[in-house]
Amino acid sequence: MQGLGVRQEHPKLKELVLEASRALARLDADRLEELALSCQALNRDLAESNPERQRALAQEAREADGDMAVFARVLEVTRANLNVMNRLRELRAGRLEYDERQARGWTESRHGDN
Amino acid sequence: MGTISSAFSIMSQALQADQAALNVVANNVANASTPGYTEETPNWQENQPIVINGVSYGTGATESGATSIRDHVLLERLNQQQQLASASGSRLAALNTVQALFTPDSGSTSSQAGDIGSGITSFFSSFSSIEANPTNSSLRQQVLSSATTLAGDLSNAAASLNSQRSALDQDAAGVTSQVNALTSSIAALNQQIQSTSPGADAGTLEDQRQQDLSQLSKLIGINQISTENNGLSITTTSGQLLVSEGSNFQLATGMVGGVSHFFVGTLDVTSQLASGGGQLGGYLTARDEDIPSVLNSLDQLAYSISTQVNTLNNAGTDMAGDNGNAGNIFSAPAQVAGAALSISVVMTDPNHIAAAGLGQGTGDNSNATAMASLAKQLIVNGQSPSNYYSKFVTTLGSTVSGVETENTAQTASVTQLQTQNDSLSAVNLNNEASSLTTLERTYQAASQVFAMLNTIMASVLNMGEQTTVS
Repeated sequence: MQGLGVRQEHPKLKELVLEASRALARLDADRLEELALSCQALNRDLAESNPERQRALAQEAREADGDMAVFARVLEVTRANLNVMNRLRELRAGRLEYDERQARGWTESRHGDN
Repeated sequence: MGTISSAFSIMSQALQADQAALNVVANNVANASTPGYTEETPNWQENQPIVINGVSYGTGATESGATSIRDHVLLERLNQQQQLASASGSRLAALNTVQALFTPDSGSTSSQAGDIGSGITSFFSSFSSIEANPTNSSLRQQVLSSATTLAGDLSNAAASLNSQRSALDQDAAGVTSQVNALTSSIAALNQQIQSTSPGADAGTLEDQRQQDLSQLSKLIGINQISTENNGLSITTTSGQLLVSEGSNFQLATGMVGGVSHFFVGTLDVTSQLASGGGQLGGYLTARDEDIPSVLNSLDQLAYSISTQVNTLNNAGTDMAGDNGNAGNIFSAPAQVAGAALSISVVMTDPNHIAAAGLGQGTGDNSNATAMASLAKQLIVNGQSPSNYYSKFVTTLGSTVSGVETENTAQTASVTQLQTQNDSLSAVNLNNEASSLTTLERTYQAASQVFAMLNTIMASVLNMGEQTTVS
C-alpha cells in the first residue's frame, strides 16, 4: 500500500485520484478494489455531509480535476493494452487449435502402430 | 533392428531428450536475472518410425534445440509505447525548463523572464506617475528605468530561450551516433539470425536484437517489418529505411538555418523524425515547435510595445519643445522576428519623453496619459499587453500540463506492457492466462473507481455551488 498508507479519516480526493492512477500503472488490482470500496463509502457519506464539508469537498474536486484527466488517459491506454493482449490470446488460441489438429492428422496418417 | 533393442533405443533417446530439456530449464534458471533474456522452451522432434514386418514402430523423440518464447506483436506494442513515452519525456523536460524561465522571481534584482508581467505593469504605471507632474525629472527618469527593466526582461528571456534551443540542438545531434551504432548492430544480428534460422533457433541473438530495438525505440520512432528467415527491416515511422536485413543506412547531420538537420543519404528526414517519437522526436518538437512558438509570442509582445510607445513618443512634445520629433524610447524593431532579443532602451535623456501633446506646452500631460492608456489598449494581437502576456503564460502552462499527462499515461502503459511481457517471455512462474486475468481485473476495478470518482466529483461540485448560492 502506497500513498495512502497513513490512515486518514478523509483522504483528499486528489490523493485518491493520484493513488488510483499509480495503482493502475502498476496493475495493482487489489489496491484498486480497495479504492473502489473507499469511493463507495465516500459516496454514501456525501449525502449526510454538512455544508462546510460539502464546500471543502467541492474545493477538493476542483483541485483534483487535472489528476482526473491523467487518470482518464491512463485508463484509456490500459484499455488499448488490454485489447492488444486479448487479440494476442485469440491469435495464440487459434494457433494452438491448428497445431492440435495438425498433430492429430499427422499421427493418424503416419503412425499406425501406436 | 530387433524389437528389444528398438525399445531400448527409444527409451535411451527419450532419456537423452529429457536431459536436453532439463538443460534448457537449467539455462532458464541460470539466466533468470539476465536483462533481456527470453525464456526458452525445448523443441521436441519426433524421430522417423522404424518399419518391422510391415508394422511401423515409433522411435521416440529427440530434443532438437530451443525456441525462445517471445511475442513480436506485444514487443512491437511495447516499443511503440516506449517511443511515445520517450518523446513526451524529453519534450516535457525541455518544456519544464522553458516554464521555469517564466516563473515570477520576486526576490531577484536582475532582469528575468519571470518578471515580464510585473515589468509591463511598472512600465505603463510610470507614465501614469508623470501625468500628475509632467516636468518632474526623477519621475521621467523612472520611465526610462522601468523601460530598461522591461526591455532587459524580454531580451534576457529571448536569449535564454535561444540558449535552450541550442542545447536541445546539441542533444538531438548527439542521438545520431547512438542510433547509428544500434542500427549497425541490428543489421549484423540480422545476418547472424538469418544464417541460423530456420534450421535452428537463434534465441540469444534474437534477445540481443530485441534489446537493441528497445534501445532504438527510446531514441527514435521506428517501424519494424519482418522478413524471410526471421530477418528484420526497420524504417522511420514515415517509412524511410534505416535497416534492411543485413544492411543499415547511417543517419547524418548537417546545419540548415542554424540548426542540425538529419539526413539519410541526401534525404532530409528531420520533420519525419520530429513527428516520429523517441527522445529525438521530443527534442526536435521542443526545438522546432515549442521554443519557436514561445519566442514568437515574446517577439510579438516586444514588437507591439516598442512600436506603439515609440509612435506615441514621436507624436507629442518633449521638455526641449521638440514637436513630433522627440525620438524613440525603445530601439525600433525592423520586424516581429527577433524583436524580443534586440529590444533595448535607446533614449538616454529623460527630457526627450514627450509627455505633452503635440503643440502643447511642456507642462501638458496629454501624451503621457495616452502612453499610460496603452496598458489597457488592445495593441498586441487584439489584446492588452498584460492580458496577452498572461494568456501566453497560461497557454504555456496548459501545454506543459498536456504533455505531462501524456507522459504519465505513456509511462504507465510501458510499465503495464513490460509487466505483461515479463510474465510471458521472461523466466517467471506466472503464466500468460493469469497475467491477462490480472490486467482485466485491474482494468475493471479502475473503471469502477473512475466512474465513482466522476460521480462523486460531479455531486460535490453541484452541492458546493448550491451551498455557496444559498
